[in-house]
Amino acid sequence: MLTEQSLGRSGHWTLFAFLFLFVLIPPAVAEKVKLDPSNWGLEEGKECVSCHKKSSAALTHEWQNSAHAEAGVNCLDCHLADQVDNDAIEHEGAIIATIVSPKDCGRCHVKEFKETEGSVHAKALSMIKNRLPALADNLSGKEMVAAGCAQCHGSEVVVRGDGTLTPETWPNTGIGRINPDGSLGSCSACHGRHSFSKAQARDPSACTWCHTGSDSPDDEVYASSKHGMLYEANRSKMNLDSDQWVLGKDYSAAPTCVTCHMGTTPGVKGSHDVGMRDAWSLNRPVSEQQYLVIFDDGDRRELPDSQPAPRRGSELSKLDGSMGKVKAVASPKRRRQIMTKVCLECHGKNFVNSYMKQFDNLVKLYNDKFGKPAQAIMSALYEKQLLTPAPFDEPIEFSFWRLWHDEGTAARHGAAMMSPNYASWEGMHKVAQNFYGEFLPQLRQLAGEETANELIEMHVTSQDQHSWLNNPGKPNPILGYGIGKESHE
Amino acid sequence: MSKLRLPLFITRHVLFALLIGGFAGIGFVLFLTEFDHITSTETFCTTCHSMELVAEPYRQSSHYRPASGVQASCGDCHVSEGVFAATWDHFIGGKDLFNQLFGADYDDPVINALHLPDAAFAAREWFKQRDSATCKRCHVKEAIYGTRPDTVLIHTEDAKEKSCIECHYNLVHRAVPDKAVFKRDKWNRMIEEEFGLSPGEADKLLGGD
Repeated sequence: MLTEQSLGRSGHWTLFAFLFLFVLIPPAVAEKVKLDPSNWGLEEGKECVSCHKKSSAALTHEWQNSAHAEAGVNCLDCHLADQVDNDAIEHEGAIIATIVSPKDCGRCHVKEFKETEGSVHAKALSMIKNRLPALADNLSGKEMVAAGCAQCHGSEVVVRGDGTLTPETWPNTGIGRINPDGSLGSCSACHGRHSFSKAQARDPSACTWCHTGSDSPDDEVYASSKHGMLYEANRSKMNLDSDQWVLGKDYSAAPTCVTCHMGTTPGVKGSHDVGMRDAWSLNRPVSEQQYLVIFDDGDRRELPDSQPAPRRGSELSKLDGSMGKVKAVASPKRRRQIMTKVCLECHGKNFVNSYMKQFDNLVKLYNDKFGKPAQAIMSALYEKQLLTPAPFDEPIEFSFWRLWHDEGTAARHGAAMMSPNYASWEGMHKVAQNFYGEFLPQLRQLAGEETANELIEMHVTSQDQHSWLNNPGKPNPILGYGIGKESHE
Repeated sequence: MSKLRLPLFITRHVLFALLIGGFAGIGFVLFLTEFDHITSTETFCTTCHSMELVAEPYRQSSHYRPASGVQASCGDCHVSEGVFAATWDHFIGGKDLFNQLFGADYDDPVINALHLPDAAFAAREWFKQRDSATCKRCHVKEAIYGTRPDTVLIHTEDAKEKSCIECHYNLVHRAVPDKAVFKRDKWNRMIEEEFGLSPGEADKLLGGD
């Protein structure tokens, strides 16, 4: 939770953030395009289908059954390119581009384009750039980037001088893709190409494409939560095909990923900026609550709550390194309030607030008991040159990485989305197993008894939560101690 | 009995001249036919090293080694049918020989690759002007069945009014974008990267011609 001090700092921006999030942003996810239909239905594009229903019948069939076809949006409306475009190609007399970028979609879907453009999704590639050399180049290899990393985070699509897209960077549907036209992201990461069904994007499986597995087990977390359970049981009642999809009006059986992170609820406008309602950073060695800084060109970035809130109108560096003017700042508290409003559609205030408390408590527990001590120890080991600066050439580096990146993430995401199993057994239990069973023994081996003890005392056993280590005589029969001996019954 | 009566101006000399001229004419046409034939072969064309460079991708293409075994040689596509048209094409093509001798060093793979787009645009234009006539020597639109049922439909319905070259380019030689979207700058950068040249070197090489 926020301290009084930080609230004071950000307090007078809260009103502005409120205005921005609730009033200035136009309404509803998947809102109807309000442009005049004369903006699409290009004459030259009407002929494409005749050939494509023969040469690529399935793809054409998908389009034919889509809302796009119904509205008269044809192939060329989306694939149209300008001669000077980097990736423009000539195709049957038309100048087109293979990649339909968010900018192309934004010709009609203006609101969605603007919302995604500044979102964490659009920056999924730039955010991991400093991880790639260690993980992709060192641990696996460049060939893996195209098939793995870039499929979720996006590739920087390279167009060769002969107009072809390089196989190292295409095909790619990563949500942080850097497109040949300079725009960021890929709408088709969530909305399957050519059908563009709303129902499909509302289904949690749309997110599973990336949010699954050890570093981001959100699919598993959701599936093993009460929410996921209800969704599975009530899928037919979810009204997924509905034009408008307002919680409490159009559906109520269960919340999906979209509901909480993007969806429209009475009093909460939907947005394609998917990270907007996240108060915490949960995918770091140590979690922090975060401001959402909105620049006057619509770009956004997050700043940790531990730093002073930037003032409106001040200059601040953006994620891409350029400078931007701050237009508004949403405090973590404000972001939490918006998320909470969604919960309140089904749950009582006390229930919601107390659940949020449980979630926050677990994040703080992870931070204080494991994240911070482990990070401090790693930092000391590098400083004392007991570790080489190169990542992943010593066992303890793997242990630390797994501790926060995999196990710690599972625990925190598990608590955020109410999966007891992921919060505990797949999360905190594995964190503890790693910390006590691997990380600390590796530290002793690496640093020698004296230095290790010094570090452990400073960062671990001096804490109440680890004080049980100072009391090795205290028995427990769980591992067999004293079984069969009457005195320990 | 009537006697063959030649006009008076057909003297013996004239008769000889006619006969010699006739045979010379036949010989000349036969020569042209043979000349066109020989100068249309891959063996002849690749006597210039620059042509060897463009023949390399051709030898990987379906026109070199088709399932049917019907191989198309250089002239089958690039020289018109008929002795006079073929001779004319060779006459016009003489400028290539001139350029080979006095123009840029097309034998250099870099120079060759840098000039390739212009050659491709010219060739495509040539095909367009002739309504893909040389393609039609072998290919008959109505007979293109392909391996999928849609192939015949696309050719008989959608491509009814179209000339082969409008859809089928970049079949044989190194792929070059359509002229409408071609970007010289990007092409030069690609060639530089391919041959390990420093940025801007390609432009110098082109400008130096």
